[in-house]
Amino acid sequence: MSSIPLPAALQRDDHVAMEQKANRRKRMSRWFSILCVIIAFLSVVVLVVLLVSISIQGSSRLSTDLLSNAHSELHPEQAGMWPAIVGTLFVCGVCALGSLPLGIGTAVFLEEFRPRKLELRWLRHRFPDQSKTWDKLASGLYKSIRGFHSFIQLNISNLAGVPSIVYGLLGLSLFVYMFNVFGQIKVNEASGWEIAGAQHYYQVLSLESGQVVLIPQTDRTQSTLTVESPTTGVTPDGKTYEVGVWEPGSPKPTDPSVRRRTVRKGAKGGVFTDRAWYYFRLPFDRSFLAAGLTLALVILPVVIIASQEALRAVPPSMREASLGLGATTWQTTRDVCLPAAIPGIMTGAILSMGRAIGEAAPLLVIMGAAIAKSTGPQHLMDDAVTMPVLIYNWAGRQQAVYQELAAAAIIVLLIVLLLMNSVAIYLRERLSHV
Amino acid sequence: MSQPAALRNRRFRSTSTAVYSERFVVMMLASCATITVLITAGIIYMLITESWHFFTSDYVNFKQFLTGSEWSALQAKDIKDAEFGIWPLLSGTLRVTMIAMLISLPLGLITAIYLSEFASRRIRGILKPTLEVIAGIPTVVLGYFAVLVISPSLQWVSSGGFDTFNATSAGIAVGILCLPMVCSLSEDALHAVPNALREGAYGLGCTPFETSIKVVVPAALSGIISAFLLAFSRAIGETMVVALAAGTRATATLDPREQSQTMTGFIVEMIKSENEFGTVQYYSLYGVAITLFVITFGMTLLGQLIRRRYRESYE
Repeated sequence: MSSIPLPAALQRDDHVAMEQKANRRKRMSRWFSILCVIIAFLSVVVLVVLLVSISIQGSSRLSTDLLSNAHSELHPEQAGMWPAIVGTLFVCGVCALGSLPLGIGTAVFLEEFRPRKLELRWLRHRFPDQSKTWDKLASGLYKSIRGFHSFIQLNISNLAGVPSIVYGLLGLSLFVYMFNVFGQIKVNEASGWEIAGAQHYYQVLSLESGQVVLIPQTDRTQSTLTVESPTTGVTPDGKTYEVGVWEPGSPKPTDPSVRRRTVRKGAKGGVFTDRAWYYFRLPFDRSFLAAGLTLALVILPVVIIASQEALRAVPPSMREASLGLGATTWQTTRDVCLPAAIPGIMTGAILSMGRAIGEAAPLLVIMGAAIAKSTGPQHLMDDAVTMPVLIYNWAGRQQAVYQELAAAAIIVLLIVLLLMNSVAIYLRERLSHV
Repeated sequence: MSQPAALRNRRFRSTSTAVYSERFVVMMLASCATITVLITAGIIYMLITESWHFFTSDYVNFKQFLTGSEWSALQAKDIKDAEFGIWPLLSGTLRVTMIAMLISLPLGLITAIYLSEFASRRIRGILKPTLEVIAGIPTVVLGYFAVLVISPSLQWVSSGGFDTFNATSAGIAVGILCLPMVCSLSEDALHAVPNALREGAYGLGCTPFETSIKVVVPAALSGIISAFLLAFSRAIGETMVVALAAGTRATATLDPREQSQTMTGFIVEMIKSENEFGTVQYYSLYGVAITLFVITFGMTLLGQLIRRRYRESYE
């Protein structure tokens, strides 16, 4: 084996030491890859521990009661999460309606209407004034449009890093109080303008026990009414009638229908408000509408970034073909780019909605941590309970029964999220191969 | 729109309609984009005007706010006794965040290296969905997990050395939360390193370990650092985990076994309390929020700066 003599410089090196060094390096590499495997599978272990511990804790409370009942302080063993499920649906519906059009529009603007050199050339062609100032003006205009694009891009990356509780505070100022434009913020009292759907009455006890007459309120600042003389009352379906007054001492009317329409002289009534489902007021106050719009702000950056990536993945050759046939940029976007990007946009939308469903911090700020509500929202300005807020409230209590309920509610929430994520994955697989 | 000479003197209705609708659409889309700017402006306006009420109040001193080591906005019965010094909240936040970073940064980076350099297709097929599922878990669930599992097991290990609500269990849960984010962003950065660099390293006789640590990771460093900064700002702003698991006493210690109220935890506690709108205690939440915002905004900007300035581009 003495075919090629080693150079003198290498002959001096110690073969044994070289081999040891090589072995050490190989051993190091092997240890590192073992460490990698252990650490990488740590995440699997964590996930398994999480799921197992929660399902052990919550399995005893998983029943139809949980799905159909409302929270109850007196009978915690029968408490359920139906209002929270409905509330989550409403809040996330508003969130989707708010964030998806806005987010996809912004993504289209940033990706498809990116200023190109073409426009600068068109400007020069359109106004063939060769003077230096014009040239400077045109390129300045072009640069400022480009600057606008990159500024918005930077802004979106920054918005994605803002903590969600700060968005909650923004929603509190913007949607709940509307920066106080509609008057001084009052505690425990609604301020602002009621626009539609509200009827205010005074409720006065009639002579028939357990029955009341409704008298329309004329002055909103007066919260009680004392009946001294006959006035007009209203039936619940809007018909007016004369309310009689009974002087104590004189004989009471005997006919029940008359008694029902007669009140004692000097009887006092408090305000009662009847709200139709389309009840609308400004500012929104602590309503599910305000909460949904705030959540829309939280997930807006996520929607924009996902849609941008989907649009970027559309091959430029398709755009060029469409533009080459004489379509305008918007026609190209509408008929070529958006249809091709739909799977990606849908996936991003579903994943961001999953995030919205699990978000609790901004909702705590907007609607508070109270969960005593037995139904979903009854009108547009009604408040709501959502699943994460319910879980937060239950998990923070000391009693074991509420801890178990929290775990059971978490199982329901995770099943919903898992279903949504698998729909997203299915869509991505199915639509991207068409 | 420039037209060929043959068409120049003819008016096509469809063309001019398209031109007008094009202008309209661009206006609409640009206004969508402008709304994102307005949101930022709204956040800044809201934080400044509302915290103005706090900083100009008689009971608050800006210098004391920055340096004071006692925070008793909710504990004090009388407003005169309340102390507003941000340090206890800041140190609580930093304690939780540091523990979270100690867990998520090394583990996330090593998992990312493993996924991009070593893992076979089958293992990727297990690990990737697992990380996606962890990333999709609502934070309130992780907070419950911290209370239910992490905190009792810490107490069991240390035989009662930890409080029921402590910084460590919250930090571990936040770390679990940040792990998928660190991992996927770092993996993207590692993935962008061209194969020629790896092949060069192997050609010079490097082992896989040396290739990934000495060649690939340094080449992707700017992306990795900006992923770290993003995870850091996410951990600082994390709310539900700390609201459930970190406790409600603002203390200025460095002991991770004790309760620690974070800035976000204070905001939640304040919202839940009975303090009415317009009191100094109420406005103090905006003072905390503006501090939080400045920190996270700075982190994001720093991350983008690093990404832009130090990005190695391989074309």
